[in-house]
Amino acid sequence: MLNAMVALSIIVIVVGVYFSVRKKINSVKVNNISNLLHRLRPETLRELILLLLILLVVIFFSIVIDHYLNARLFNRVSTSVAIIGILAIGQALVVLTRNIDLSVGAVVGFTAYFVGQQLSQNNEMTPLVAICMAIGIGALMGSFNGFLVAFCRIPAIIVTLGTMALFRTLLVEYSDAQTVLTVNLPQWLLELPRINVVSYEGLHFRLVVAVMCVVVILFHLILRYTSFGRKIYAVGSNPEAAANSGFQSRKIIFITFVMCGALAGLTGFMYLARFGNITVVAGSGLELKSVAAVVVGGINIFGGSGSIFGATLGAVMIDLLENSLIRWLQISEFWRDAMLGMLILCSVATDSVVMKRFRKYRLKKITQKEEKL
Amino acid sequence: MQIDNLNIKTPSSNNIIDNDFRSSKPPVLEALNISKSFDMTQALDGVSLEMRPGEIHALVGENGAGKSTLIKILTGIQQANQGELRLSGLPVKINNSQEAQAYGIAAIYQEPMLFPDLDVAENIFISHQDQGFFVRWDKMYKDAEKILNDLGVRIDVRNPAIGLTIAEQQAVEIAKAISMNVRVLIMDEPTASLSDHEVNQLFRTVMQLKQEKNVAILFISHRLEEVFEIADRITVLRDGKHISTNLCSAVTKDGLVREMVGREIDQFYAKDETRTVGISVFSVKNLSKESTFSNINFELHKGEILGFAGLVGSRRTDVALAIFGISPADSGSIEIEGKLVEINSPQTAKKLGIAYMTEDRRQLGLVMSMSITSNITLASLSKYLIRFGIIKREKERKTANEFKNRLQIKTTSVEEEVGILSGGNQQKVMISKWLNTQPKIIILDEPTRGIDVGAKAEVHSMMRQLAEKGFSIICISSDLPEVLALSDRILVMREGRQMGIVESQHATQESIMSLAMGQSKESNYA
Repeated sequence: MLNAMVALSIIVIVVGVYFSVRKKINSVKVNNISNLLHRLRPETLRELILLLLILLVVIFFSIVIDHYLNARLFNRVSTSVAIIGILAIGQALVVLTRNIDLSVGAVVGFTAYFVGQQLSQNNEMTPLVAICMAIGIGALMGSFNGFLVAFCRIPAIIVTLGTMALFRTLLVEYSDAQTVLTVNLPQWLLELPRINVVSYEGLHFRLVVAVMCVVVILFHLILRYTSFGRKIYAVGSNPEAAANSGFQSRKIIFITFVMCGALAGLTGFMYLARFGNITVVAGSGLELKSVAAVVVGGINIFGGSGSIFGATLGAVMIDLLENSLIRWLQISEFWRDAMLGMLILCSVATDSVVMKRFRKYRLKKITQKEEKL
Repeated sequence: MQIDNLNIKTPSSNNIIDNDFRSSKPPVLEALNISKSFDMTQALDGVSLEMRPGEIHALVGENGAGKSTLIKILTGIQQANQGELRLSGLPVKINNSQEAQAYGIAAIYQEPMLFPDLDVAENIFISHQDQGFFVRWDKMYKDAEKILNDLGVRIDVRNPAIGLTIAEQQAVEIAKAISMNVRVLIMDEPTASLSDHEVNQLFRTVMQLKQEKNVAILFISHRLEEVFEIADRITVLRDGKHISTNLCSAVTKDGLVREMVGREIDQFYAKDETRTVGISVFSVKNLSKESTFSNINFELHKGEILGFAGLVGSRRTDVALAIFGISPADSGSIEIEGKLVEINSPQTAKKLGIAYMTEDRRQLGLVMSMSITSNITLASLSKYLIRFGIIKREKERKTANEFKNRLQIKTTSVEEEVGILSGGNQQKVMISKWLNTQPKIIILDEPTRGIDVGAKAEVHSMMRQLAEKGFSIICISSDLPEVLALSDRILVMREGRQMGIVESQHATQESIMSLAMGQSKESNYA
């Protein structure tokens, strides 16, 4: 089992490197490792390093914890990544435009509670209506954030810090201190987290994980292949140049907040399906995890660079660590947060120290090439 | 042009004058054979300068003559590649601005850098670390008052700096310098944003400083009248080289202007045959913007290159920004092909066929972390969309490769990041970006700043080709020979006012420079 997973990860990394440099290999012959290295875009290198780190974490814990590496680990981590992953994608969109959304945890809590409440009262409601309701409420809350940030020009960190408290209070008011209970929820919802798309020897590829994969791929394609995605990067990377090119940056920022809210709404629905019992504190703390996933995943906190794929890897890393540390008896549960904090600091530090050096090195190499031309 | 070269004094004659003067007082700060180069350009080439106590030394030169670089080296912000600095005859190394302060060298800039929320006294003593742990407010206010009184300035030291006029802020900066026992005070265009009355006030303070405190003052200004009013000696820099140092009484304004512009014209600045220009396609009438520029009037014809000349602070770029809708004008009208248009955003300007290629490529022009392809198509993305906003990448790459070949952008692949290209290649990417919007009117702001000679020639020939193809071009440039060689007509600006439009056949560098420095048009043709 262990060997299979390690082998699989190595294959993934090799294939990743190959695909990222393939196009250029065709035109110029690769002579040595350094040549290969400077062909990598810094962002790609960063994602590969993260992939390698995830692998190292798995190997480390499989040595220190007995029976660590089994199908249950995959099942547990993947379902929990499904929740934080989708949230991280929304956060990534916002961070790419030089903003931040701290209210996503509250949005998750509110939508989870609201939709749960509706479903408890009306068990006949179809899944599609419930999902659309969750996404709609999330988008509405996101548009409130977006309006204040983009059109009233209030800094995002202030707006969303305010709405974080606002949405949470809304939830407390609305819930009247009641809890959504599993017993009142319709059967299909409770079964939803355990539906498998593919199953192999105890390894379950859950439907929720498939949903996350679809969202990841969808947004990856949007960012890479549509003009909207291009504009997000342009606005985040150089707002003035974007404005000079005739982009309406405010509209773009508004839309990213709406999308972030909608994705938080979807997360809220999945949160409801996974936990069943929803209290007024549901989803609190998720905002920090989503920001952590984005930063660890290599998205520049000052906007403009990083990828959805990276943010997803960041989410995987965080959840993997959390799930593993719970089972590592030597570490007290209070240290888990500290580990998370250290991870964030390390990833930002590598970005500013290691990646800067790498960029410089690459610049030198490419300038040499340019001069030869 | 050749006559000008004869008029320039040879270095030996300058030395004689210097020797006469040297007998008076030993210099407090000397710069000897300072050279400084940035990647491609030689900003300073063996420049020497002496500053004596109680003397006001003016430094003049065109934009890009190397004045700013020299100041940065004297104040430790940058370090020279070659040459040495001597303080009271002893060689010193100034590695940063703290060290410069410790040596008693202070600088005051056009826009004073005060802390707006702190009061005047706090601003004056902000960098005093020797006052102990606790602030002694009474003593601080008393000392501040004394310094300001000595300077003959009346400001309440307990007021926050935010309410002060720029002249008052400069007085505070001077007081700050005095509190640190300044020996050398560098003033970089301190009068550029002052009214006449405020200039007089500032000059009184400066004279006080010179006479009472025996401070050596280096004064940089684009206003020659002021230089003659206040300076004891004048040094001219041109293209990073020291041209002359003379006593103020030994030079005339005309002589000074000649020395500032009199560079030799190499063949690639050779003036081309006059183009045949077509009908008027773009006209601007009485364009004004509050406290920026006023009454700008010009017509631009099909296939014409209109040069915009002027010194730093002449607001040429602001006019361009207004035309392109980034910061629209308050009043006046713009007509395109006879139709009155209102331009209040870059989107509108783009739709009307105007392209603006900014002088600040890094900040405003390109998205450095994006690929060459993405940058070239950034302003015309709608041309590359299929359904659902999906970008047709093949088509994009084709366009990028076309421009790469057409403008000879040197790169291994059009998928490389723009940030790693050289300045000249970045410029070409930006030009590609805007040509790809298929404009009719192109505004180029300092198109050759910071790029090497080869790339410069390529940009020039490209501009000529564009004009021949019928594009109308506005070229803002501080490089006078460039403007003269490229343009059909030249609009000269000074401090937000239009000083005149001259046919470039009849213009010389001197005539344009005189206009830009505020001498009336008639006297040039006299």
